[in-house]
This record gives sequence, structure tokens and C-alpha cells, in this order.
Amino acid sequence: MSGHHISTDKILLSVAGALFVLTILTVAVHYLALPHPWSIIVAMTVAVMKASLVALFFMNLYWDARFNSMLFIASILFLALLVGLSMLDTLFRIDPTPGF
Amino acid sequence: MANHSSATHVQHHFVDSEQQFDSAKMGMWIFLVTEVLFFGGLFAAYIIYRAWYPELFTLASEELNTLWGGVNTIVLIGSSLTVAMAIKSAQLNQIRNISINLGITIALACVFMVIKYFEYTHKFHLGIFPGEFYTYEGINHPKANIFFSLYYLMTGLHGIHVLVGIGLMIWLLIKASKGAFNSEYYTPVEITGLYWHLVDIIWIFLFPLFYLID
Repeated sequence: MSGHHISTDKILLSVAGALFVLTILTVAVHYLALPHPWSIIVAMTVAVMKASLVALFFMNLYWDARFNSMLFIASILFLALLVGLSMLDTLFRIDPTPGF
Repeated sequence: MANHSSATHVQHHFVDSEQQFDSAKMGMWIFLVTEVLFFGGLFAAYIIYRAWYPELFTLASEELNTLWGGVNTIVLIGSSLTVAMAIKSAQLNQIRNISINLGITIALACVFMVIKYFEYTHKFHLGIFPGEFYTYEGINHPKANIFFSLYYLMTGLHGIHVLVGIGLMIWLLIKASKGAFNSEYYTPVEITGLYWHLVDIIWIFLFPLFYLID
């Protein structure tokens, strides 16, 4: 559980390579101009995959104490709470267009 | 960890070097939680405004240059790699490689800021300013300034984090060149690395949200 995992060059370079490939992929998909809901779904899926790779293997959560992963996941859950509860208001207003 | 008592970097309120390292790292993760929520407020604003004005976001995004956004994504991923390499170098006692990798990281972070500078000045030149200062006529939408207010706030706050990261990395480089870090003690490199990776993760989301929606 200790936080002194030493990553090999092979792992670090493979992760960076995967991140480069996913970046090129997401730009390529952008130029395909997928129909409405799919472009954002694909772009966000790729972004979540990239962020997970960074968190697991660059930030070492894969080998680290589980407590640190729990902290990070908790921050995302509280962000989801903020966005979710805000949208329960903003999405269902009778006059949705504010003056700003 | 052997030789707890002889390690000069261990402060008196920690049991040993190991506990000091794990405490510092957990503290950094708690700070990163506050950072996620700090940016999270802006992401929430983005999501709400995009739900209100979906057509505005697709129109206005065309003003952003996908190529330079993509180049900056690659640059930041590269800098995350070199930070991870700097930590690995410290763990393996390759003292010189710590400084080399930190130096490359600082250079890549500066490349990111220079590209951002040219993107910003190009928009200022067109009259694309945030909020009420917006004067650009090229986007056929009455609320076009809202998109750019969010753009400047989110990429600007991110840019400030990159500048802070550059400052921290210069401090690490000075310490590393004096031989402060080795396989027994490299905590500042490790936790600055965590900060830098989070800045990278935030850009990983900003890039598709602003540049890839037209």
C-alpha cells in the first residue's frame, strides 16, 4: 500500500503514447462531424479515458493507498451533486432564458 | 524503511520518513479535491449555459483554432510524462536526470503559455473580450459574449495554474541542482507532480469542451 511505486520507462511511455493516440482520435472524430448527441458522447468518453490513464498511472493511484483514490472519487461525486442539483432548477424553469 | 532516526529530512512530529511521505501525499490529494471543486463551479456554469444555449456553443466554438488546442494538449501530456520521469529518476537516484526532466517540463509549460498568449491576443485583436467588453460582430448570436466569458474564465484559471506550476518547477529545479532530492527524499517532486497531472486532467476536459464542438 505504500506510495513508493517505481514506474518503468515502458509503462510511462506506453501511457503517454496511449494519451497521444486518444488525442489524435478525438480530433479525428471531431472532423467526422457525428450527429448531435454522439459527438459530445464520444468526446467525453475519450476525455474520461485519458483522465483515468493520467490518474491511474501518472498520479500512481493504481498502486497507491486506496484512501487517495477515495478522496479523488469523492471530489467527482460532490461535483456531480453540484451540477445535478443546479440543473434540476435550471433545466425546468418556465422561462428558461435568463437576462444574462 | 531503515535508518529512520538518521534521516535528516524527517520532522520530529512524524514517526518515520515513510509516514511523513504518505501524510504529505494525502494532504496534497485533499488539496486536489478542493481544486476539482474550484474548477467544478466553472464546469457547472459551462454545463448549465450549454444546456440553455446549445446553438451558441457550436457557433462560437468555430472561432477557436482546433489545431493549436490540439498542439497544446500534446504539449501538456508531454510535460506530464516528463514530470513522471523526474519522479522516477529521483526514486532510482539518477540525480542529474531529475533536473533534466524538470527542465524539459518547464520548457513545455512555457510553450503552452506562449501558444495561449497568441490565441488570446488574436481574439483581443478581433474584439473578442469577455462579458460587456465583447465587440466582435462575426458571430450571429446575441449572447456570443457568454461563450467567451466562460472560455476566458476557464482557460484563464487553468493558465494561472500552469504559471504557478512553472514557478513550483523552477523552485524544484533549483533544489534538485543543489542535490536536495534522492531516492530517500523526493516528496516535493512527488506532490508537485500530482498538482501538475491534475492541471493536465483539467485541460484534457477543457480541450473537447471548447475546441471540439463546432
